[in-house]
Order: sequence, then structure tokens, then C-alpha cells
Amino acid sequence: MSEGKYPINLWVNDDRYDKLKNAGLADMCKEMLAGLKVIQVYANDAEKDQILKLYPMAKFDSATTKSIELLPREVKDKIFDKVIVQKSIDTAVGAFLADH
Amino acid sequence: MAELGHGGKKIVERIMSASEAKKKAKGLTQIPVRGQIAKEIINIAYGFFTPLQGFMGKKDLDAVVKRMKLADGKTIWSIPILFDMSEAEIEKYGVKAGQTVLLTFEGNPMATFKVDEIYAYDKAKICKSVYGTDEDKHPGCARTYQYKDKFVGGKIMLVNKPKINPPYEPYFIPPLEMRKKFKQKGWQRVVAHQTRNVPHTGHEWLMKGAWLQAYGELPIEKPIVGVLVNAIIGDKRKGDYIDEAIILTQDELRKSGYFGDHNHLTSLTFWDMRYAGPKEAIFHAMLRTNLGLSHHMYGRDHAGVGTYYDAYDAHHLFLKVQKDLKIKPTFSMNWLYCPHCGEVTNEGLCSHKPEWQKFSGTLIRSIVQDGVKPPRLIFRPEVFDLVMESAEKYGFGSPFVTDEYLEKRTPVFSIPPMKV
Repeated sequence: MSEGKYPINLWVNDDRYDKLKNAGLADMCKEMLAGLKVIQVYANDAEKDQILKLYPMAKFDSATTKSIELLPREVKDKIFDKVIVQKSIDTAVGAFLADH
Repeated sequence: MAELGHGGKKIVERIMSASEAKKKAKGLTQIPVRGQIAKEIINIAYGFFTPLQGFMGKKDLDAVVKRMKLADGKTIWSIPILFDMSEAEIEKYGVKAGQTVLLTFEGNPMATFKVDEIYAYDKAKICKSVYGTDEDKHPGCARTYQYKDKFVGGKIMLVNKPKINPPYEPYFIPPLEMRKKFKQKGWQRVVAHQTRNVPHTGHEWLMKGAWLQAYGELPIEKPIVGVLVNAIIGDKRKGDYIDEAIILTQDELRKSGYFGDHNHLTSLTFWDMRYAGPKEAIFHAMLRTNLGLSHHMYGRDHAGVGTYYDAYDAHHLFLKVQKDLKIKPTFSMNWLYCPHCGEVTNEGLCSHKPEWQKFSGTLIRSIVQDGVKPPRLIFRPEVFDLVMESAEKYGFGSPFVTDEYLEKRTPVFSIPPMKV
């Protein structure tokens, strides 16, 4: 069975956009929902399970968006910081979880 | 003329006058009740639960469990309304069949309760029938298993009206009053929008679509169809929107002109959700029949939780029992954003499927939580601003339920002191 890939949406506010621009990563943003900027980082199966266990208020929206939602803002800020440091959307979740 | 509610039964408010209440309540054994029971007392007393006159006895419970009907064999009823007590409490208060006791909430007299019977019932059997599972991780089953071991059936009469606290007062509109409002507005048909959410434009379009469906063949020279938002206000979980934000933003859609006085009204019902999916959908139909509505909107996974129910189980059950319900369903497909159309559209209308951008209440909460203001096509700016204002005014800085909110929030209603 192939490995799952579960997006976490990091919605890009002005503060996050400035950080991306300064790191030369502004083109990582996608436009979703009528032009709203987002960076999608991905968790694999094990990372998804681990993150939902660590943050029980978060949930995997299996019905509509198929993404992990409702992570606390400070958690998303930390994952966002990993994106900036690692310049990657694929390894940021793993790097964040390695700190826990 | 009598107002007829669910099952064709007359809606009667079971509320004593102040002078009668003082006489009848005097000297009765006082039994405190928790929030869930207090809400259900209000619903029985004001007719939201017509034809129930009190908490269910064994025959009614058995009929609900076995046939989704009351003991009369005719009236559909899908969720048991039960008053539970432990053996120790029954002994402590000396509760016996034939006796009348006084139920109190937070120390103040609320209702008389004429005990008809005390009985036991298999809780797992209730769960399997109502929730389709007996797993205790289902929140409805968990609530059922938390009931104490005995049930007490009997009629209630309210002796002390609840005080609905700000900002909720204008939204508590009991069945008889609601029906008067509909007449004043000249609405011939009214469609219910069930909610526990702050509205995004997907919800707004669910309402607009249901309004169009309900309008049907009626003449259009003047507005004669309305949408009633009936917010369920009950137990909160951490991470939910705070109740104040829910009720105020629903009404904001009218105030900001996305709807108007001529076609939109916001109200609330006190009820702790059971997440019974299809059975709760039928329960909502009964409740809204009593409020005087002609139509009820159902989207996908109505009142469901986790993966217990298929997306359209509620629709299927409704169609099975429709002949025994007075209210008509309007079923709705999903609304979504299509960048090609440049608008919120319906999956049954738009053919740009590969481009669709679906959104949910969860996704919008996630955006708000990230401190981002969603585009107006997805979330109305007036609604966003009011969510943030509610966070400051009522939510201790957060639009979402926190431990602090649960501990310090102003209760939605309270029972005033009363000397007996």
C-alpha cells in the first residue's frame, strides 16, 4: 500500500508572507479559496498519527478537505519556521516532530 | 384556534402562574438537576417537545427503542427523553410513584415533577437503537452510559421561568410565540436551518438554496417564505466556536443584508447534541414542527459524528417515515467555491470539478485560528469582524471555547431565586 500524504494548511497572513519573501520562498505559496494564500506541508501516515495524538484538539477532515486542521496556532508557527529553515514543504513536519 | 404540533397534538405550555407556583411548590422535597435535565425541562414546559408532558416512562422508552414511536403506537419519536437517578438518590430523597417533588437548578426551584414510575432499562439496547452502535466512544452512547441506573417517568410543570441572559434573550422564541411571529411576517412556509456553527458562505448558500426549494410554486409578488436559523445551544467542547459568536453571527447575515427581515430569523433551542445522525435528524424535524416550520433543510451527514453514519443516512430515514411527519424535507448538495465560475456554486450545478475548492466549517476555523481573514466570497467580513469582537467581549480573547471560557462564561440561562 502506498504511503499516505496528508496536507496541513499553513494559511499565510501578512507576517508569514513577509518571512517567506525575505527567505526568497514566496513562490511556495499556492492560492486556495478565492485567492487566499496557503503553504501546504505534508505529513505521512506515521506523522499524521503522531501529530493527532500530540494535539487532540486537531482533526483530520476526512469528509471535505482531506487535510489536518485545527492545530494550535503556535504549532503551525513552529512548522512554518521549519519550512523557512529547511526551505522544504516535505520535511518540515518531520523536523517539527523530531523536536518532540 | 389551537396550535397543533408534532403528531397533530395541541401545543400546551406547562407553566404555572406565579401565585399557583408558590402554593404548589411549598413543602415539596427538593431534588437538584444538572444542566442537561434543566434544558429538557424548559423544552417540555414550553412545548418544544410536544406531545411530551414530562420525562418518559418505560412504555414510551420501549416504544422509542423498538419502533421509533411513542407508546401510542402512532407518534414518531427518535431520541429518549429521560430523567435518571441512582438508587442512593432515590432512597435519599424518598422518591416514590405517586409523589410530586420539586426540581431545582443551581439552588433555585424550577419545576414540579409528578412521579409516575421508577424503572430500569438496558442502556446498551438504547444505544444500539438510537445510535446504531453500543460503542462508548460514540458521544451519544457515552452520555447514555453516564445515566444513573434508574429512570423516573412523570409529568413536569414549570414553576419558575428561566431568565435568558444577554446576548441570547431575543433568540429564545418558544413554539407559541414563534408561530405568532411567522403570522406577523406573513410567512406561509418556513424552512429550518439547523446549526452549531458560525456561518461561512457555504452555510449561507445552504439557506438560500433551501429557501428557493421551499418557495416552490408559491406566488412571488411579495415575500412569503422565510428561513429560520435554529441554533442548538448546549454542551460545549474545547475548540468549538463560543455560543455568543454563533448566535450573533447567524443574525448578522440578516443585519448586514445578505438576508433581510422579510426572509430570515435567528433563534435558539437548548439541547445537548447526541450526534445520533439519522435519528437526530428525525428529532430535529419533530422539534421544528413544533416551532411551526413547514420545511427542514438537510445537508450531508446531518448531526453525525466520526464515521458512524453514511453522508445521506438521514435523508434515507426521513423518506421512510415522511408520511408520519408534518414537515417536508429540502435535501441539499454541497456548496463549494469554483475559481472558474468565480463564485460559490453547487456540486450539482457546476462542471468544473477538477478546479473545485471545497471548504468546511473546520477549514474556516483553521484559517481564523491562524489569524487570517478569509476572502468575502468565503466568509463575510461582517461575520469575521463580529467573531473577533465576540472573542474580546465574551471569549476571553478567543473565538473558540477554552478552559477559561468553560469556567467563567455567562450561562445562557439561569433560574431566578424563588421563595417556597
